[in-house]
Amino acid sequence: MTHTTVITKRSLVPLLVPLGAGALVAVALGVYGKAHAPTGFSVSVAGFSGPLAMKAWLTTGAALLAIVQVLSARAMWRRTGTRSAWVAPLHRWSGRIAFLLTIPVAFHCLYALGAQYDSPRVLIHSLLGSFFYGVFTAKMLALPRRGLPGWSLPVLGGLVFTALIGLWLTSSFWFFTTLGIRL
Amino acid sequence: MSRLGPVYTLAAGAVIVVALGAASVKAAPSFQQVGAGQDTTAAAPPAEPFPAPSQEPSDQPSQQPSGDPAAKPDATPKKADYAGVVQGNGGLVAIAVRDGKAIAYFCDGRIEAWLKGTAENGTVTLEGKDSLITAALGGGKAQGRLQVGKAKWRFTAPLVKKPSGLYRASAVVRGAKIVGGWIVLPNGQEVGRVQIGGSGEPAPRFVPGTAVDYYGITLRPEEPDDFIDELAR
Repeated sequence: MTHTTVITKRSLVPLLVPLGAGALVAVALGVYGKAHAPTGFSVSVAGFSGPLAMKAWLTTGAALLAIVQVLSARAMWRRTGTRSAWVAPLHRWSGRIAFLLTIPVAFHCLYALGAQYDSPRVLIHSLLGSFFYGVFTAKMLALPRRGLPGWSLPVLGGLVFTALIGLWLTSSFWFFTTLGIRL
Repeated sequence: MSRLGPVYTLAAGAVIVVALGAASVKAAPSFQQVGAGQDTTAAAPPAEPFPAPSQEPSDQPSQQPSGDPAAKPDATPKKADYAGVVQGNGGLVAIAVRDGKAIAYFCDGRIEAWLKGTAENGTVTLEGKDSLITAALGGGKAQGRLQVGKAKWRFTAPLVKKPSGLYRASAVVRGAKIVGGWIVLPNGQEVGRVQIGGSGEPAPRFVPGTAVDYYGITLRPEEPDDFIDELAR
């Protein structure tokens, strides 16, 4: 999925490498999830009653930080008014922590379980998971580039946020509403 | 903003992935953790600590000396329960035979497979998702081969009596199907997993005759008599 149909004065060329790299990441994760035989087990974050609970809570942490991401991004992109000096670091570090929180989750998903297409929830979750890391990679690689179309970062960031919330709904929300809210 | 900041972020994620991967590959199978320290189970003669099974090559050409030539299949038993260790894997396998029907469960704490099939002419043939078992019944044991995915192992599973053997608990909780499987050996060794909604994790410890608490949900493991018809349909 690219945005090449949108005509802007700025060039789309600087977006090509981030989008290409992101697409590669997404496809690679999906292929790995399908091709690799699930081990049913992975080393992970200790302290929870099981891998499912661990994943439900880490994803919830990442989703809450993702809301911080949207609010701080809004503050950064506001056209009027002065911008507090702490908004950018807040955005940067909440994003970093959210990303790192997702890593043990995705690792267990892909290494221990693999991509599955049996039920709608799991199918959507598998596809969104691959998409999330693809679009996150694209956003990270696009950030330092100059001369991007003005909509690039909001669109990429919005897609990252949407994918993460979709992942939360198809995992943590399902876990909490099925098994109850427990550590 | 540092131009390299986002790259560092991605790199940090990649480093964690590599660390988790290395740790997971090295980690001992959770089966051995499950099997450890479980000699407290009553009514079982104290057993030798389990020999490290992973040291046996999985493609060992033949069974232990007690094996093949003597094992002439008896008549197919009407009712029999077998449970034993999978050579080269260390997981457990259990087979239950009832009136020509057969079910089996394999679990090493990480991967598991439910299989169903038939028992006739002194052999059982069972199939499950990506899994296959063929075994000869006789001489007080089931002896055969197990294939899960691309992995193949041999096993010898002696006849076992309650409370040893195979257990299964199933429940539907708010639309999610939960299936737990356990194998209990006479020496108290046990392994089990619970699967839920396309995912799964090691099962809580199960003491035969009691219920199991899984995230506050009460699972009641049943003996093969109670679920073989549901499974082997």
